[in-house]
Amino acid sequence: MGDLVIEGLVKRYGPVLAVDNVSLTVPAGKLVSLLGPSGCGKTTTLNCIAGLERPDAGVIRVAGTILTDASRRIFLPPERRRLGMVFQSYALWPHMTVFDNLAFGLRLQKLPRDEIRRRIAEVLELVGLGGMERRYPYQLSGGQQQRVALARAVVSQPAVLLLDEPLSNLDAKVREQARFWLREFQQRLRITTVYVTHDQAEALAISDLVAVMSAGKVLQYGPPREIYERPATRFVADFIGATSFLDGIVSDRSNGQLRVRVGGEIELCVTSAPTRQPGEPVVLAVRAERIALATDGNAVNIVPGVKRSQVYLGSRYQSLVETPAGTLRVETAIELPDGKVHLKLPPESLVVLPPEEGS
Amino acid sequence: MTATVEAARPVTRRSLDLPVQVALAAATVALVFFPLVPILVQAFSTRPLYDPVRAFTLSNFTRVLSSGAFWSVVGTTVAFAALTTVLAVTLGTALAVLVERTDLPARGLLNSLVILPFYVSPLVLAFAWAVIYGPQGYLTIWARQLIGRDPWNLYSIPGLAVVSMVYYVPYTYLYCTAALSLSDPQVEDAARIAGAGPLRAIRAVTLPLLRPAITYSALLTFVSALELLSIPLVLGTPAGIRVLASYLYILGIAGGRIDYGAIAAISVLTVAIVTALVWVQERLVSEERRFVTTGGRASRIRPMELGTLRWLAFAFVMAYFTFAVLLPLIGIVAQSATAFLSPLINPLQVLTWDNYRLILETEAYRRSIVNSLIIATLGGAIGILFMAFISLMSYRSEFPGRRALTYLALYPRAIPGIIVGIGFLWAFLLIPGLGAVRNTIWALMAAFIMRYIPLGFGAVSPAILRISPELDRAARVAGADWLGTTRRILLPLVRPALLSGYILLVITFLKEYSSALFLFARGSEVIGTTMIELWRQGNSGPVAALASIQIVLTLVVLAASSALLRRR
Repeated sequence: MGDLVIEGLVKRYGPVLAVDNVSLTVPAGKLVSLLGPSGCGKTTTLNCIAGLERPDAGVIRVAGTILTDASRRIFLPPERRRLGMVFQSYALWPHMTVFDNLAFGLRLQKLPRDEIRRRIAEVLELVGLGGMERRYPYQLSGGQQQRVALARAVVSQPAVLLLDEPLSNLDAKVREQARFWLREFQQRLRITTVYVTHDQAEALAISDLVAVMSAGKVLQYGPPREIYERPATRFVADFIGATSFLDGIVSDRSNGQLRVRVGGEIELCVTSAPTRQPGEPVVLAVRAERIALATDGNAVNIVPGVKRSQVYLGSRYQSLVETPAGTLRVETAIELPDGKVHLKLPPESLVVLPPEEGS
Repeated sequence: MTATVEAARPVTRRSLDLPVQVALAAATVALVFFPLVPILVQAFSTRPLYDPVRAFTLSNFTRVLSSGAFWSVVGTTVAFAALTTVLAVTLGTALAVLVERTDLPARGLLNSLVILPFYVSPLVLAFAWAVIYGPQGYLTIWARQLIGRDPWNLYSIPGLAVVSMVYYVPYTYLYCTAALSLSDPQVEDAARIAGAGPLRAIRAVTLPLLRPAITYSALLTFVSALELLSIPLVLGTPAGIRVLASYLYILGIAGGRIDYGAIAAISVLTVAIVTALVWVQERLVSEERRFVTTGGRASRIRPMELGTLRWLAFAFVMAYFTFAVLLPLIGIVAQSATAFLSPLINPLQVLTWDNYRLILETEAYRRSIVNSLIIATLGGAIGILFMAFISLMSYRSEFPGRRALTYLALYPRAIPGIIVGIGFLWAFLLIPGLGAVRNTIWALMAAFIMRYIPLGFGAVSPAILRISPELDRAARVAGADWLGTTRRILLPLVRPALLSGYILLVITFLKEYSSALFLFARGSEVIGTTMIELWRQGNSGPVAALASIQIVLTLVVLAASSALLRRR
C-alpha cells in the first residue's frame, strides 16, 4: 500500500477551469479532506480520482499504479481502479438487499460464495449493522444507510476510500456522532482516504491533513491546526472560523516583531511575522474567539470600540464591535457590556496576510 | 476484516462496452437512414430506381412543383391540418383545465374517457364516424327525416377536421394536464385573493402558464395532421378531397402508371418541411418538456369551485364523449354484427355473423390479424429494449456520439408513416440479399420500430433521467462496466417504465397501417392494410368486423396491462 499522488490535475468544462493544476499527495493510511465552498472543484477532483471524470491534464497514481495520465492518454475506467466510494446520496441500489448491495463488487471479482458471505458479515459487524443483510435500503434509517454505503465501499478492500460529503444528509445531531465514528473507523482500517466536504468543522475534526480549495486551486494544504491557526491567505482565514480582517501598513520592524498601523492612530504588535518591510500594506486576520475584553488599559494591542449587535450561540456570545480599525467579530464566554468597550488582540493571535487578495 | 490492502489485482477481462455501444449506434443509424437514402437517390434520378441506367436530374422537382394538382393538394393539406389543429387544441385545452383544475364530478372517469381515442386507430375512427355521420350514416338519415335536408356533410374539409380533432384532442389534453399538474395551484389562489373570480383567474393566470404546453401540442398536432392518411383517405376520397398522404397513396398504389420520380420528390419536400417544423418545435421546448408522463401528481391540489356551472360543464364533457367517441364506436360494432344498419330497420332483425365469418374464414384476412398480433407483441418487445438501450446510451454512457444519437433517435418524427413505407420498400428492392426479408413480417417490424423509436425513447427516458446518476457511478466504482451497470442496476430500476412503454408500443403497432401500406405483401398483411383493401372493395361490413376485432384486441391489452401494473 502506498500514497495517492495527484500531479498537475486540470479539468475544464468548456471555458470554465473546474480544477486548475492541482497537485496533492495523500500519504498512505491518512485521511485527507478537500475543503471548500460549492463549485471550488473538490468534487471534480474526487471524481477524477474515481475515474468518473476524465481529466484534461495531470497524473493520478496509487502506490505506483497509474490510474490516469493525460499526457500519455492513460485512463483506467472506474471499474478497474479498485477504489471504494461513498456518495452524497449513499447511492444504495434500492432494488437490492443490504447483502446484495455489498456482494455486487465481490461477485464481479468472482470470489467464492463462502468468502463473500464471510466478508459481508465481518464488515457489517464492523459498522454495527450485524444481521441486517436481508433488509432493503428503504427499511433503514439515514444513519444506517450511510453506514451500509461505507460498508459497501470498503468490503472489497480497496486501495483508497473516497467520501463525497457522506454526512451532509444526516441530521445535525447524528452528524456529530457520525464524525467521531467515521474517524475511529478510518483509524482502525488505516485506509488511505480522501474526504470531500464544505463543512470546515467537519474537516478540522476528522482529518490528518486538510486541503482548502477555491476556484479550482488548492490554496493551502496542511494539518488542521496549521490551517486554522496560520491561514496562508485571506480566503482560507475567512472560510474557516469566524474571522475579522483589518487593513494596515507596516510601521516598524524589530526583534522579530512587527508593528502595524491600522485605522489611523492605532498600532498593533504582531509576533509571528514573516518578512515584511515598513511601509508595506498588509491585512491582519484575527479569530473571533481570540479577542478578549481588555481588563488592563495599559496592555498592548488595545482597541476601543462600540458594540453594535450581539447573538447568543448557546455556549458563547458573538458580537460585532465597531472600532476605528474596522468592524471586529468577537466571541466571548460572557456577554460584552453595551456601549463602549476595550478589546485586546493578543500579538500572537494576529496573522499577517498579503493585501488586496481577491476573495 | 484485515486492515492491510492487497496490491490491486490486475483486471484482464475485456469489456464489451464499446463493441455493444458501437453496434447499437450503427443499428440506429442504419434503421433511420435505410428508408431515406433510396428516396433521396430516386428524387434526383431520371429513371426508376430498379433501372440500372440512371442519370442525375432536377426534373422530378420541377415537374412536381409546376403541377397544379400538387399545389391544390398542398393547399388542401394545410387547410385541413390548420383547422384540425385549431379545433383539437381549443377543445383539448378546455378539457384539460376543466378536468384537471375544477371540481367537476367524476373527474377520474372523465379523464379516462377523454384519453380513450388515443388508443383507437384513426382508421377505425374514420370508418366509425362514417357509420354514424356519413351521407348514409345512422344519425344523418335520422336527422334528414327530421329536418328534410342533409344536416351536415362529413365528406368535406371541416368534416375531416372534426373527426381528426377527436383523434388529436388527447395529445393537447395530455400535455396541458402534465403542465397543470406541475404548476403550483397557489398562483391561482393568489389571483383569487387579489379579487379575481374563477373564470378570470383561469384566463389571467392558468392559461398564460399553459402557453408553452399549448404551443407545443399545437405544433405536434399540426405536424401529425399534415401527414395523416387514414381519415382523409376514407372520408375525403369519395368527395375528391386529396391531402399529401392520400395523394402519395394514390400515386404509388391506386393509380395507373407509377411515377417514381414524382413520389420521391414529393416525399423529399414533405420530409424537409416536417423536419423544419419539428426543429421549431424542439427550439420552443426544453428537453425535459418533451416527455409527458400522465398521472403521478406530487401533492393533492384543491380544485377550483365552479358552483352551479359544474353540472353544465360535466354535461358538456359527457356529450362530447358520447357523440364523438362512444356513438361511432357503438355504430361500427353494430354494423359489424348486422347485414344492414339503418334507422329504418330494427337492427335486431338483421343480426348476422357473416362479416366475422368472412374475416375468419378467409386465409389472408385471418393471417392479417395473426401478423398484427405477432408484430405487436414480439416487435414491441424488441423495440422497447432497443429504444431503452438507445436512451441509456444517450443519457447514461460516455459513448462519444451520444448527443448525435439522441437527435437521430428523435428524428423519425419528421418522416411521415407512408414515406417510411415507401423508403423501406425501395431499400428492400435495391439492396441485394434482402429480397428474402422483403415479403415477411420482419420487414414491417423493422419499419414500425424505426417509425416509433421516438415514442419508446420518450416513454423510457424520463424514468432513466429520474434515477440518480450516483447509482450507476457506485456500480462503476464497485467494478461493473457499463453493460454490467445497465443490466444489473439501470434496467431493473426502470422496469415499470419498460413495461408501460412496451404496452404503448403493442397498442401502437396494433393500430399502425400507414408505414405498412407500401411495404406489405401477400403473407405479411396486417389489420390496417386489410381494412383498407376491404374498404377499397366497398365491403363495409367486413371492414366493421375487422375494426371491431382491433378495438377488442386493444381493450384486452389495456385491461391486461392495467391489471399487471396494478399488481406491481
